[in-house]
Amino acid sequence: MVTLGHYLVVSGALFALGLAGVIARRNILIIYMCLEMMLSAANLTLVAFSRFHLVDHLPDYGAQALVFFTITVAAAEVAVGLAIIVALFRSRQSVDVDSITKLQG
Amino acid sequence: MSVFTIEAFLALAGMVLLLVEAFFPKISLKTLGTAAIGSAVVAFFLYLGCNKDTSALPGFVAAWHQLDTLAIFYKGFALVTTILVLWLLLICSPYLKRFTVDGKFGEMLALPLIVCAGMMWMASAKDLVTVFVSLELVTVSFYVLVAATRKSVISLEAGVKYLILGALSTGILVFGIAWIYGATGSLSFEGIAAACANGGSNKTALLFATAFLLAGMGFKVAMAPFQMWVPDVYQGTSIPVTTFLSVGSKAAGFIVLTRLIDALTVHGSLIRDEVILMLVGLGAITVLVGSLPAIFQTSVKRMLAYSSISHAGFLVLALASRDSVRFDLSAGGIVAFYLATYLPMTVLGFLGIAIMRIQGQGEEIQDFTGLAKRSPLLATMLTIAFASLAGLPLTAGFLGKMFVFVGMVDQGWWVAIGCAVIGAAAGFYYYFRIILAMFSPAPANAVSSSLQFGLSARVLCVALGIVILVLGVYPRPLQKLLAPAPVAAQHAVK
Repeated sequence: MVTLGHYLVVSGALFALGLAGVIARRNILIIYMCLEMMLSAANLTLVAFSRFHLVDHLPDYGAQALVFFTITVAAAEVAVGLAIIVALFRSRQSVDVDSITKLQG
Repeated sequence: MSVFTIEAFLALAGMVLLLVEAFFPKISLKTLGTAAIGSAVVAFFLYLGCNKDTSALPGFVAAWHQLDTLAIFYKGFALVTTILVLWLLLICSPYLKRFTVDGKFGEMLALPLIVCAGMMWMASAKDLVTVFVSLELVTVSFYVLVAATRKSVISLEAGVKYLILGALSTGILVFGIAWIYGATGSLSFEGIAAACANGGSNKTALLFATAFLLAGMGFKVAMAPFQMWVPDVYQGTSIPVTTFLSVGSKAAGFIVLTRLIDALTVHGSLIRDEVILMLVGLGAITVLVGSLPAIFQTSVKRMLAYSSISHAGFLVLALASRDSVRFDLSAGGIVAFYLATYLPMTVLGFLGIAIMRIQGQGEEIQDFTGLAKRSPLLATMLTIAFASLAGLPLTAGFLGKMFVFVGMVDQGWWVAIGCAVIGAAAGFYYYFRIILAMFSPAPANAVSSSLQFGLSARVLCVALGIVILVLGVYPRPLQKLLAPAPVAAQHAVK
């Protein structure tokens, strides 16, 4: 029997992996993929909580509506984000975070 | 006519301007700018004249839209900020043309309108779904705005930094929302408050969720330890966008934070003490990590970035003083008051830097040396702005800081007060260093011709200076605007 706890462990692990990737990786594209993974982890948490939170013997769909918004927002974020990363690549010929060091202090 | 049509109008105007900019390349930036600022001004007058009663809202809007005192105040705040930023964009156009591809920055004139609609929706959000969607509308538009001046190398770099850290904070925020939903079974602020108060929820899960929510919102309002993006992004991007981030984005973050903290620390809440303790600690640390590095900055823009972190710290401390209702203002009201005084002084400070940049000057402190000789008007107005940012009595900035301190004294948080005093004292040092530079004689090899700038910049400068002084002497109208009606009657004797 798969319980709420199982889902939460998986989504928590996914979130932690994403966060670790954002902190440890140096390639901006991979960092961006890790960020998307964190959003997916949050979505999984939302769906799991919603499935196990019964209102009149039915899952509570309020939180699942938020998941659709999150997916849409993530898509918009990718569209804008990739445009900015491409512009950076054109000016630097690199997508490594260690190459963006003009601003410090 | 009801308030929600104004937001729809603004979003529509923004989209139309974006399309016009894309499909009619011959239309001049001046026309676009006038159209943008015109729509914002029209929206502002509609806002002044519209029906601000919740019962006037149709049902499908009332489900996610509330119109209390704070919501109405923050809507007006968003509109005023947007108008000032658009004005600043037009003033800065010679400087922006140099750093944009083909000298075109039409999207920078259209996007503020969409950001404004997002901030207005956020001000009256009733549940976390609305908060999330409108917050992302604002954030994604800001990604574009920050990176828009992409011929400047540091602007692009600032854009990437803002993008990565902004997306990270979004991820953390959604995870926090998911957990608060799991812990309370509700996504609306009302439902969360009820669940916190009746004690049926799991305390550990609630605290876990609160930590994530505070971290996610902490990024948006520049709260320590999530403030590291602020100096780089503020310094890297163009001045009007820095102003917008520093005032608009921060205010939008604080209205959400106000609602969230109101719900989590409702009377009898399970986690009230813990949340307040977290806020006091984070606020005190934020004041210190903002003020102390600011002392060592040589760039005025970067120094203002650090000072903006320190102001965020004061705002968090104001939010933490839950129990004191002084000056007719609740904790949320004091935050709103502080932000209202913060608006004119920050815009004026950045306008000063913008004027220097347009004249081909740098933004280092030494570039301000001898400014009083070259442009007495600008030097006087900047003196008012910086004195007010430091919190000199008789300026608007003093009252905001005083309210925060009185609130903290009421609660007896002496360690936090100590941190805040250190921060405020450091503030006096680094702001008055610029004032001193402006009034000291210029070195022999410096430019000494008088500094000329356009009429519209002069008008804006003087108007903001007057607002700062008037608010500093006579804050009553602003207090009345923010006082929740029943509370004001109860505490009128105080």
